Amino acid sequence: MGNCYKKQKTSVRSIPDRRNPEDQDDMPYMLIMNNNTAASAAATANTSSQSTGWWRPVLRQRHSRNQTNDQPTWSFCKLTEDELDKHVLETLHILQSSAENDTTLILRMRMFRFWANGETGWNMVLSSLVRAIPLEDVLGPSAITLFIDHCPLPTKQAVLKFISNLQLSHSKAEEDIFQCKSQSKSARHRNICAVLGHLAESLAGPLSIAMLTDDALEYFIAGLDKTINNCQVPIVDILYSLISLEKFAQTGDNKTRIKQTKFVEKLMILENWRDSNDYKKRQVGFSAQWLLDNIFVVEGRKFTYEKVALDNINAMLNCNDVSEYLKISADGLEARSDAASFESVRCTFSVDSGVWYYEVTIITPGVMQIGWATKRSKFFNHDGYGIGDDEFSCAYDGCRQLYWYQAQSHRHRHPAWKEGDVLGLLLDVPNSEVIFYLNGDALPPERALFNCARSGFFAAASFMSHQQCVFNFGAEPFKFPPKNREFNSFNDHAQLTDEEKLVLPKHKKLQMIRQSSMKENSCDLCCDLEANIILQPCGHGGICHKCAEIIDSCPLCRSPIEERTVAEAEKS
Amino acid sequence: MAALPRRIIKETQRLVSEPVPGIQAIPDDNNLRLFHVVIDGPKDSPFENGAFKLELFLPAEYPMAAPKVRFLTKIYHPNIDKLGRICLDILKDKWSPALQMRTVLLSIQALLSAPNPDDPLENEVAEKWKEAEAVAIKTAKEWTRKYAVPDCK
Repeated sequence: MGNCYKKQKTSVRSIPDRRNPEDQDDMPYMLIMNNNTAASAAATANTSSQSTGWWRPVLRQRHSRNQTNDQPTWSFCKLTEDELDKHVLETLHILQSSAENDTTLILRMRMFRFWANGETGWNMVLSSLVRAIPLEDVLGPSAITLFIDHCPLPTKQAVLKFISNLQLSHSKAEEDIFQCKSQSKSARHRNICAVLGHLAESLAGPLSIAMLTDDALEYFIAGLDKTINNCQVPIVDILYSLISLEKFAQTGDNKTRIKQTKFVEKLMILENWRDSNDYKKRQVGFSAQWLLDNIFVVEGRKFTYEKVALDNINAMLNCNDVSEYLKISADGLEARSDAASFESVRCTFSVDSGVWYYEVTIITPGVMQIGWATKRSKFFNHDGYGIGDDEFSCAYDGCRQLYWYQAQSHRHRHPAWKEGDVLGLLLDVPNSEVIFYLNGDALPPERALFNCARSGFFAAASFMSHQQCVFNFGAEPFKFPPKNREFNSFNDHAQLTDEEKLVLPKHKKLQMIRQSSMKENSCDLCCDLEANIILQPCGHGGICHKCAEIIDSCPLCRSPIEERTVAEAEKS
Repeated sequence: MAALPRRIIKETQRLVSEPVPGIQAIPDDNNLRLFHVVIDGPKDSPFENGAFKLELFLPAEYPMAAPKVRFLTKIYHPNIDKLGRICLDILKDKWSPALQMRTVLLSIQALLSAPNPDDPLENEVAEKWKEAEAVAIKTAKEWTRKYAVPDCK
């Protein structure tokens, strides 16, 4: 969780539409201690001359002439790019290190909101995100969505200006990705994808269409070609190209345009990385496959759910017990979120007694809260609450190194998790213990979960944006089975029907629901066939022809049936 | 195992998602046509505070044939015999495929509130009920306490 990730949609104001060309002065200011003004001005003077040139001399607030040196006074100073970048990095650091420090984080986010409250300011803040967020930061892309959500909604002009400033094009993409091998260049491409992707999602509709210029589309697709041919492109660039285009495709016109490019063709190749041992490739493969199953449906391609082997799988992530944006693989054992919300899911199988164990392989080392929950645990994905954030669930968070219960956390001694690590989760009901293992190394037992819950425990997890992991409920051998006690696996005790094992793409699911609601007129007895028979002489209906043949008295009034007539199809 | 008819799936879903107050019906893990039922003794009846276990089985012909229901908990009642069999018209000749598990269980709950000694299954109990109702009710209460009240551990 938690509070710090809460979206503040209601309080976000939009940037005032500034049409008056005279009104240029909407640059953000920062408050600084007066004694430092000169230093700050000097430090930024040289950057300003070479870059944007919008920096202007410090505006001093009126203050006493005979100020003493040790009495700090305050003045406003135009915000510089360097200052802004520094703030972004510091905030990123706070985000990662402490979940308890909510107030600091909220204050900092308010500062960004204040700065972004004007076209120039908004542009500066977003440019700073593109520039400053380092590639290696595990929370980088998640943080970008968070920052943008805390800024006011931009005007159309602000967005288009921001995009034109980025000078997106095919060649720019090559420049960002290949020509300079330095880390910062690669981060630029990824950050642009993450920023634009999130904007496309939050501004879906005409604005999203306006954002996806031909050049922008080129910029996103440019990297894919080369990668597939000779693997020269950093995989993270491909991944975020996919994610970004997924978000643009939420607007129908964009989806049609993207489908006309070579993008879908590339996805079919990238899909083969699905089971790669390189975890970055695996993310690309998972995303490509998900896109092909859910968004860019190709005629003639079999859906993954139609060909996946599920014979020995008896427990999986429950695709009917999940918040709305989580992506679940067709085998029901891998999940990923690319949404800005905090997405949660429970397993299909629950346990009441005994000792149980499952494992999770970490694909992305960002914020996930993985643990145990009963049915009563709530998924408030939009408010940032998930597993470990109420009294009916507890969770392990290997990124911030925290244990969560009731939205309260305390630090554990494990190092931060990395990709490929294996989290083990043991639930010992008779002894009221929950034990977490990282690569076999056990933490001391936690017992708080049993304060409010005695039975009905499910394996469960919550995901921050761009996080992914693989669950093993026992269909595969465990990598680090606990040695000191006997345990069971869900897979050995659970059972699923073929129908329950189906993890359908959303559009298929909707289709099924539509079909079944078309069957509104189904027989009251078998609930299966169409109810099109009227019994005579009583005139009661609601029965299909098959059932009507079997009975000889009306199920409602018991009067003998003399004749079965076909109801007139309702003319619509 | 043959696929479960849609009718049974629908009824099960509804029983689980909208349980009847005072009645718990859980499908068996291995046989989805078998339900483990607990009916709470109705208030102001001799069975009050009791929790009566039953099993309900949906035969292959269901819903054209009635579900088979029997008490597992011993009960002193003129319409329920020593083996737990229930004398209730809708489980026999008055069954209609329009009835459901839900309605059957509600009828059984109602039968506990209103024993019907004029249509007995257990003659001895029915006689007692007619001749000395107070004594019968006292016995019913004793049996409830003895067999149907969960032990306080």
